[in-house]
Amino acid sequence: MTSIRRGYLRLAMQSLRASRTRSFMTMLGIVIGVMSVIIVVAIGEGVKQQIGNQAARYGKDVLVVRPDTSGDIGGSGLPGGTASLLTNTDAEALRQTPGIERVVPLSALKGSVTADNRVDNPLVIATTYDLDTVLNQKIAYGGFFTPADGEQVAVLGPDLAHQLFEDTAPLGEKLTFRGKQFVVAGVFKPFLASPLSLEANYNQAVFIPYIAAQNILGTTPQINQMFVKAKPGTDVQALSKTVSQKLTDAHGGAQDTSVLPPGAKGSVSDRVLQLLTLMTICMAAVALGVGGVGIMNMMLVSVTERIHEIGLRKAIGATNQQILRQFMTEAFVLCLIGAVVGVVLSLSTVGMLKLYTSLQPVIVWQVAVIAPLIAMITGVIFGTIPALKAARMDPIEALRHE
Amino acid sequence: MSLIELKDVSKLYGFGDATSVALDEVSLSIEKGECVAVMGPSGSGKSTLMNMIGLLDHPTHGDYLLAGKRVSRLSANRRARIRRDKIGFIFQSFNLLGRLTALENVALPLLYKGLPTSKRNSAARAMLERVGMHDRCYYYPRQLSGGQTQSVAIARALVNDPELIIADEPTGNLDTESSRLVMELLSEIHKAGNTVIFVTHNPELTRYATRVVYMQDGAVKYDEQTKLGEVGSYARNAMYKIPETTEEDDLAGVSVLMKVRPSETESPKKAPAKKPAKRTTRKKKRKAAA
Repeated sequence: MTSIRRGYLRLAMQSLRASRTRSFMTMLGIVIGVMSVIIVVAIGEGVKQQIGNQAARYGKDVLVVRPDTSGDIGGSGLPGGTASLLTNTDAEALRQTPGIERVVPLSALKGSVTADNRVDNPLVIATTYDLDTVLNQKIAYGGFFTPADGEQVAVLGPDLAHQLFEDTAPLGEKLTFRGKQFVVAGVFKPFLASPLSLEANYNQAVFIPYIAAQNILGTTPQINQMFVKAKPGTDVQALSKTVSQKLTDAHGGAQDTSVLPPGAKGSVSDRVLQLLTLMTICMAAVALGVGGVGIMNMMLVSVTERIHEIGLRKAIGATNQQILRQFMTEAFVLCLIGAVVGVVLSLSTVGMLKLYTSLQPVIVWQVAVIAPLIAMITGVIFGTIPALKAARMDPIEALRHE
Repeated sequence: MSLIELKDVSKLYGFGDATSVALDEVSLSIEKGECVAVMGPSGSGKSTLMNMIGLLDHPTHGDYLLAGKRVSRLSANRRARIRRDKIGFIFQSFNLLGRLTALENVALPLLYKGLPTSKRNSAARAMLERVGMHDRCYYYPRQLSGGQTQSVAIARALVNDPELIIADEPTGNLDTESSRLVMELLSEIHKAGNTVIFVTHNPELTRYATRVVYMQDGAVKYDEQTKLGEVGSYARNAMYKIPETTEEDDLAGVSVLMKVRPSETESPKKAPAKKPAKRTTRKKKRKAAA
């Protein structure tokens, strides 16, 4: 039987070669279908991984606590705003909880910052001296502020440092925020930024000690986000429940905070990713459907063009099944070549995207295998109709046809 | 037991008032080893009869026994398999596939039989050698002359070692020289023991036949045994009754045919078969003369 199949394959190649342009055009449908699927998924996966990297900003033993409010301060990415329900009291209460090593609060403050240049409404974050212990981020120049530095110190994100001082390492320089002067103690290395991330862009942030903020405001600032670092050996998942329970109790039973265990992404970005995936699937379905219809058209034309040939083949003894198989093989070969070309082209396109754009597409191997498979199945299914038409032809009628 | 046995076979097309009869209760039996020439005017049902015998078609009524087996009610696929194994077709328009080489064309029936490539090719090569085309194995049909093309087609018909060769006007598209070549080949095949049935308009070619069947209006009008090398008596009548054309007739063109008609109506028994035969013959003769 294998020899017959090889025979069919040869026949298919011959007839495809005989109508090169048309075969190429048809193949193009499949190629584009496969390419679009692989590339879009690769881009989506790249974005996903970038967001994932952002989540890895914090250590594996760090919980993120956020108030469940809809407000968002000026797109800063720190939730809460004026209606933030987390307070310093909550932070203190958590600090007393067993299993928790430390609690690092983040508070966003409003106001412009002036140094060599003036920057309106940057992200001013008041935090404690131990922020650097929960943040997986290296300092490029200087160091994070310590209690020894006093209260009037600041650490800058690299972008903001550049905007304020037009210098990458403005250590020891002074900046003014709400009438107070702060000495720059350090500059962070660039944070990985991702367009779809809902995390705050810390590259545009200035960090000041919590106590300094307290002095400026005259009261304890509202907390927009807290990092809770677990003691070594503590079950982080269990701890996240404890923290959640504690906060609910402290707020009189209202579940107005969410505790994100390590690795969990913001719920909104999850939804974005789901939508992205759905969009990809829809695009893939459309692209592959178009490719399939292309195959069907081509095969129908091919059958009509070769009615006489089909008649002859039947006259010399081809059964319906053999004619069917011949045309199916043709459709299959067309799809196979199209799928392979599509995979190769999409791999190279992804490579190009990586080199020449800021996107970081990641090839998902499962998709790179499944997409061409589905393309082939589509092609063969759509190839069935014309093949059946050919197989059921009456030999005499077909022979008479010129 | 006859190789072919047709019993009151009819083939009707259309329904009701539009019904046309292509074959009208034809009964015919052909023995193994015969070489039958089928003659008759266009539309007399020759091709339908060939299709019927070649199992391309099935009768509306009647029975067909091939080698003692009733084949008139078989499914399309069963018929295809019998065609593949027992029948070789030769067509007027050669019907080689232009994309395939001579060798591949000849090997095609074996492909459907499921033979491996090497066996297919060696058998096809042997068959091409038999028809004297072994040096043209890798030529495409468009690179071959008409006679060569038909030789390749004959090789294809023979490659399955069929019991029956059906040739529908095998020389219809060929000049005299090529016709002779092709008929010699068919004759050799016949001498080797095959049963050959061929349709022709040329009475000269009945020399190659052992039996001549004349068809008209879907029925067998006349059926005679002849000796090899002899023109069938009926065909001879047709041939030699052609009136010589005068210069005047040449000027008149087609109307010379009209002149012949009245004499046909005088002898209604024999005449109808003459018409096409005459035409072809006259053309052939002229060609030969030129």
